[in-house]
Formats: sequence, C-alpha cells, structure tokens
Amino acid sequence: MADRSATAAAGRRSSVGYAERRRRAGLLLVAPALVVLIAVLALPIVASIVLAFQEADSATGAFGGSWVGLDNFAAVPSDPAFGIALRNSVYFTLVEVTVVVVAGLGIALLLNHRLGRSGFFIVILLIPWALAPVANATLWKWIYNANYGILNVVLRQLGVIDDNVVWLGDPWLALHAMLLADIWKSVPFIALLLLAGLQNVPQILYRAARLDGASALQAFRHVTLPQLRTTLLIAVVLQSIWALKVFDLIYVLTKGGPADGTVTLNFLAYRVTFNFGDMGYGAAIADVLFLLMFGLALLYVRVFRPGRAAVAPG
Amino acid sequence: MSAMSRRRGRRLVADASIRILLVVFTCWTLGPIAWGVVSSLLPTEALIQTPPDLSPAKFTLANFEEVLGSGHNLVQGLLNSAIVATLTAGIALVLGSMAAYALARLRVPGGNRLLLIVLATQMFPGIVIVIPLFVVLSRAGLIDTYAGLVLVYLSFILPIVIWVLKGFFEAIPPQLERAAAVDGASPLQTFRLIVLPISLPPLFATAVFAFIEAWNEFFFAIILTRLDVKTGPIAIAEFSGQYQTLYGQMVAAAVLASIPVVLLAVVFRQYILKGFVEGAVKG
Repeated sequence: MADRSATAAAGRRSSVGYAERRRRAGLLLVAPALVVLIAVLALPIVASIVLAFQEADSATGAFGGSWVGLDNFAAVPSDPAFGIALRNSVYFTLVEVTVVVVAGLGIALLLNHRLGRSGFFIVILLIPWALAPVANATLWKWIYNANYGILNVVLRQLGVIDDNVVWLGDPWLALHAMLLADIWKSVPFIALLLLAGLQNVPQILYRAARLDGASALQAFRHVTLPQLRTTLLIAVVLQSIWALKVFDLIYVLTKGGPADGTVTLNFLAYRVTFNFGDMGYGAAIADVLFLLMFGLALLYVRVFRPGRAAVAPG
Repeated sequence: MSAMSRRRGRRLVADASIRILLVVFTCWTLGPIAWGVVSSLLPTEALIQTPPDLSPAKFTLANFEEVLGSGHNLVQGLLNSAIVATLTAGIALVLGSMAAYALARLRVPGGNRLLLIVLATQMFPGIVIVIPLFVVLSRAGLIDTYAGLVLVYLSFILPIVIWVLKGFFEAIPPQLERAAAVDGASPLQTFRLIVLPISLPPLFATAVFAFIEAWNEFFFAIILTRLDVKTGPIAIAEFSGQYQTLYGQMVAAAVLASIPVVLLAVVFRQYILKGFVEGAVKG
C-alpha cells in the first residue's frame, strides 16, 4: 500500500505493475548465479550419485561405464582401508572438534576479559586463520622434522625425551601430530566466533547475577553457557564439517601413511579415484562421506535459520 | 579493612593469572609462525645444528632469492594463484551481488529455500563434486586452464559471497529504494545506481575474502591442474615433497605465499569480523 505512489510512477513508464517488475528483476538477477551453481554444484552432486552405481575406470574414459548396481557400495564395508579411514575420520573429528571448541571458548573468555580486550590479540588470531593450509602443513612438517625439527630440539633440551622422535613415522604419533597442526590452525576462527557470541550476551544479565551474589564460576555456568548455547552448537557443527574435509594437511605431511594411519574418508576417496583410477568406487566412498556431512548440514540449517537471531534470549 | 585488602589481593592474583594466560596464548599462536619466519631467514647449515644457530650474523635472504629464482616454479605458481583468485573474486562478486540483492529485497519465489540450499551445499565435501567435474572438464578440454579452475572455485565461493552480501543488503534502509522508485527508477536501476555505490566497502571486503579463499585452495587445484596453471599451494606442496632437505627454502616458499593473504586479512579485519564471524553468529 505504501508503494502506491511508486506503482503509479512506474506505471506511467510501463503497463506492468511495480510489484511484478520487482519480481521479474529479482529472477533476472538471481538467474546467472543460479545457472553457475546448478552447473558446478547440483549437477555434479547428482552425477556423483549416478557414478557410484557404475563401473567407471579413469583409464577407459569414465562415465557411460557399465551399470553395476550396488556393487560399489557393497564393496565398501568389506574394504579394510575403508574401516581404517572411517575410524580415523571419526576419531580425528571427535578429538579435533572437542579440543578446538573448548580451547576456542577459553580464548574467547580470555579476550572478553577487561585485560584481554586489545586489537593486538584479534590480529594474532587472524594470522593462523588466513594462512594457506598448505603453508601451515609445510610449517608443521618442518617443526616435526625427525632430525632437525624444533619440537625434538625443545623436548630434548627440556629433558622430556632422550632421543629424537620420528613424529610422522608411527601411525598413532602421526595422527596426533596432524591433529595438533590442524587444531592450531582451527582454534582462531572458532575463538573469534565465540568472542562475537560472548559480546552479544546482554551485560545486564551479569549485573543481575552479581547482585544475586553469584561467583564468577556461577555466572559462567548460569549466564554465559546458556546464552552461548546456540553459538556453541554452530561452532561444533561447522568445525565437524571442516574436520571431515581436512585434506591439504594429510597430503603434505603424510600422504595417508604410515600404514594408512592418517587416511581419512576424504583422503581415501581421493586416493581410490585419482591414484587407483577406480572412479565408481571412489564416488561410492565420497557419497558415504557426503551422507555423513549432509546430516551435519541439516543439523546446521535447523540450528541456524536465516533471519533468526542465534543468540536469542532464553 | 582486612576484608577489603583481601579482596584487593585476590583481584591482583586474578589479574596476574589472566596476564599469564594471555602471554601463553600469544606464544602458542605466534610461536610456530615466528619459528617459520626465522627458519626462512637462516641458511640450512645454521638450521641443522643442534640447537639451531640463531646468531644474527647468520640471517640472510638467500632462501627467498633461491625460491624466487628461475630454478623453481614458485613465481609462476603465485602468479597463477593471483590470476585465478582475482578472476574468481571478480566473477563471484558480480554474480553474487546480483543474486544477493534479489534474495534480500526483490521477493524471489522460493528465495528462502534457495538460500538454505545454497548454504547447505557449502558443507558438501569437495570430493563429491570433483569426480564428475573432472570427467566433464577433461572432455571439454578445460583441465589445466584458468577457466576450468575459476568455474570450479565458484562452486564454493559464490555461496559464501551470496550469503554474506545478502546480510549487508538487508541492512540498507528500504526508504532509499522507495524514494528511487518514486523518482521512476526501475528495480535494476535502483540496484545499479543506488544500492551498489553505497555498498562499496562490504563489496570490497567480500572480494578480499573470496580472494583469500581462492588463493589458498589446494584440493581442486591438485586434481584439475597439470602444468600450465599450477597454483602457489601446489608449488609449495611439490617443493616440500621434492626438496625435503632444503628446509629453509621450503619454509621460505610457504612464508612468501602467506604474506599477501595474511596482510589482506589483517588490513581488512574489521570487515571480515563483521561480515563473516558475526554473520555466522547472528544469521
């Protein structure tokens, strides 16, 4: 109704109503992006599902391969590499997300403190975040170097170890070395996210808690945590998705070794497809990972609907 | 009296522990970076001594000269990264700003659902789309070309750009557009002549973010490039695989590739924090 004068003005220039012109303009503006997204996202996702039901060898040119029904998926559970990759992915994600969110929360609380509110700390958080994952991996490869790495030097000087440790030479150690490198890089974004969440908590709640005689710990438990619940949930879901996607670090640090100790589902799908040339089976593994992440994405969308303030009171 | 001094004492202890924690946090975050920068400035002979020889006389730019020299493909890699990242950011910004404005203001049918799907696709693993894309791009002869790589990069950058810009456009007072409509401007004119000019800072910030993401990308690049358009991250990964013992040079290459994006992130931190971090919290 408020648009009546606008409609009249527009009507003088064309016979089509203003609302209708807005709708058409909207479609026109959305169309190019939509076409690109359909071409590079939607179609490939569908194609990947189709591919998983085919015997497609990259040597024979792939696609249009013979249909093999569920054979590719049936091969998944009995593949020992898949079992190892699934276990590694789940373990890596659980540990990574837990440590990153807890450390991120700690840092966010620290930087929200009267003494921590300096732009300097924000700047140093942005550096690991902006670093290319490959550059990060190279840096840690050097830190972990068995002969000259600074980690061995420092630990020997401190007397923690007597001899150099080959950090990337043992499956268990390599997986945890990778975890540490990934955690170091991932904490900053989550810390910034939680800091933004903390700054959205109404100060009056803390004043009320203090008036009621609450200690700092009680205020944290009964004010901060409940207020931060949605932000924490977003942090957990986002970080889980990112942890399942880790690739660059594995590629540079270990290439999945030793003894598949650092092979995750993502890396296995890559290896099967592009090193072993078995595109159908690779697509099947990718689709399993896809389902796992789709579940997480749905959870994210449920938590975080557009237009709804995540840090809602109550 | 004693209660007050006890309270003051407790506050001093609390402040001291906060300060200690801040120092620990700073060392933990900057330590690996500092060590990387120092290593890149030292010759291999100094690095392989135990403990490493950190005497100031040893510091040199030789590693950087070496990796920038003709013997390595780092320069070409960084150049390719710059081209791909600029093209990706530019195209994503044009297509993304149009779509974001339409979704924010022009009541596109099914717009909200579209937005959710766009957001959800953001979480799909690259491996799912890269296998079919690899097949199609091979057939089209687009493997190892700028066009092929930019197209694939749009798949993960365009959704973020749309999402973030939509938030910015929603914050523009609607009276502005209504006034333009009264003056007889069409919706497209309003977008081009009124909305875009006042949105330059967020548009620029979003472009910076898109640039950083494309510059750092590795997974698609390793699959979709061969020789001609190998990007910076590929060059670094190859370097650290081939010349494992040239420690200083290996790290120098990583430092060089990181400088542009770290600078961009630090210089434009206000926008990045506002657009991306707070955007993720507020929705």
